[in-house]
Amino acid sequence: MTFSDYCLLSIFYFWASSTAFSLGIGYYTIYRPIVAGTIAGFILNDVQTGMIAGAVVNIIYIDFISTGGSFKGDQCLTAVMAAIASISYNLHPVEAAAAAFPFGFLGILIWKYRLVINNIFVHIYEKKYKENKAPDISLYNGLLPQLLLFVMSSAVIITAFALMFLFNKLIDFKSISLWLYYIGLLLVAFSASNILYKIRNKYNYIIFVSIFLADLIFDLRAYLLFILITFSLIFISDKKVNFYRNNFTGKIRKSDLVYSWFIWMNYSHSCYSYERLMGLAFAHSMKNILKKLYDNKYDISEAIHNHTEFFNTEPNMGTPIHGYIIALEEERKLNNKSFENISYIKKGMMGISAGLGDSFTQAILTPLFISMSVMLCLDESYYLAFIPVIFLSANILFISYNGFMNGYFQGRDSMLQRIKDIKQSKIKVYFSYMFSGIFGLSMSKLLFNNIRPSEDIFTLSIIIFAVCFTFIRKRGEQ
Amino acid sequence: MKNIFVRIDDRLLHGQVVVSWIPYLKVNEVVIADDEYANDEFMKELIKCSEPEGVTVHVKTIDETAALLNNDNENKILVLLRSIEGIKELVKKVKISNINIGGVGAAEGRKRYYNSIHLSDNELSILKDIANDNIHVEVRILPKDKAIVIKGN
Repeated sequence: MTFSDYCLLSIFYFWASSTAFSLGIGYYTIYRPIVAGTIAGFILNDVQTGMIAGAVVNIIYIDFISTGGSFKGDQCLTAVMAAIASISYNLHPVEAAAAAFPFGFLGILIWKYRLVINNIFVHIYEKKYKENKAPDISLYNGLLPQLLLFVMSSAVIITAFALMFLFNKLIDFKSISLWLYYIGLLLVAFSASNILYKIRNKYNYIIFVSIFLADLIFDLRAYLLFILITFSLIFISDKKVNFYRNNFTGKIRKSDLVYSWFIWMNYSHSCYSYERLMGLAFAHSMKNILKKLYDNKYDISEAIHNHTEFFNTEPNMGTPIHGYIIALEEERKLNNKSFENISYIKKGMMGISAGLGDSFTQAILTPLFISMSVMLCLDESYYLAFIPVIFLSANILFISYNGFMNGYFQGRDSMLQRIKDIKQSKIKVYFSYMFSGIFGLSMSKLLFNNIRPSEDIFTLSIIIFAVCFTFIRKRGEQ
Repeated sequence: MKNIFVRIDDRLLHGQVVVSWIPYLKVNEVVIADDEYANDEFMKELIKCSEPEGVTVHVKTIDETAALLNNDNENKILVLLRSIEGIKELVKKVKISNINIGGVGAAEGRKRYYNSIHLSDNELSILKDIANDNIHVEVRILPKDKAIVIKGN
């Protein structure tokens, strides 16, 4: 690895963990191990190896769902390190995933302290505002927290590089590769049994086992299952799309809405702090709108400051709030109303869309598409593996953009409509069946194509041990 | 009142509650105890629309909540409140043994107590008074988190 490789990987890790500058889809795509591993592989001139290492890490983190800043380990850093281990030290993907696994815990340091550190920017912003200095929200929500994050993420990944390098110098990875292989296998088996426990249901198990066995006997092609699922998704998806009316009568133009949406998507988690969560980000996304509505610098600053109050929602599902609030701000300017009412509406709507959003985008859409990508990769359909990621991105962008515009034109009814649509969504009903099939095929491809001695008694006992251990422990928790 | 779990969370029915707490507690009934929302038809409808599968959600005033909880009820109930003031009212009317605090956002006069929990001096003293009455008051954001117990004076 050259110096420029290290620099590029550091920049990539910053980009992925910042979730900014990626139109809000970064967290669902480049942050995910399979994509992160692929990009790390691209930087290191071996896309395929990086992608497979990422896919294995992805399976280890497949039972991961974040709800409101809660994390298990940093999957992105793990994937980058696994790609390095696999490419530079010539380790098998399962061994590389095991070697990289401890670095995930180094990565959570960023997530853990970011919410605390970002309070600093909230305080500086508040202080400047109180001193009547009309502080620029884009500085305190955008630039400064991102600069700090860049320093933090670089420090973390450079430490990780150094530790990995030192470890390899002291104890050659190759010399312990068999142990790494067993540890990696154990991690995969634990994660798989966790997810199997989570989706426990007769039909899910029947699908999982039959696809697994069918692959053993007939050697199924993953792209066939992918096509089947894509068609069934098209078949069951709600096709009546609620398009917004396109007439702008006030000061706000379509370009203003698009720009506000663009800022929100890029910076929703930029200054994520315990004190305000996405409060500063909401205000940041209102900046261009309020600048258009008010003329005086101090009036603008006050109107923006109103929106810096505590705010938290699922960033894509919650966009009708933004659209609606923009419409209300326009009306407030015309009729000189107080801000109280707007604040009440924001707070009332944000929790609802957060609950609904997390259980849809994070718990259904992301695992569905990302696991298809993993499955295709493990079956050596490397190019096809990009397609689910593109579908996922398009879906998320559509959800957020459409909600934003509908919120502006239809107000709060658009949020009601959105909730009803999602509740009736058939994808929710069939998700676990589809996932069981995808996961069954992924596991059999991993075990019998990519793993070396599948008949080895030790391998088999590791899997049985992990499965039994998980099920007994989970039963005990009940 | 073994079957009642009370949580203060100003985001009410949001991600942590839907994805983590409801499956963890295995509740089938959620009551949002909030005077303002109970008297607002739109918010009522919005909240009801968002009920998770297999769970019934009610939006009730504090008084109505107290009446419901005092009735003999076999169901496991999760009661969600937005404010510390609300819980002060509720404990006067119903016997509650546990209170969980999961989210109180920052506001004028509030100081950070723990992670995303912010309390004003007044709110903290209300909680301490409640704890004095032998009610277990804990800060716990997610089920797997370690509980931080607020003790009485």
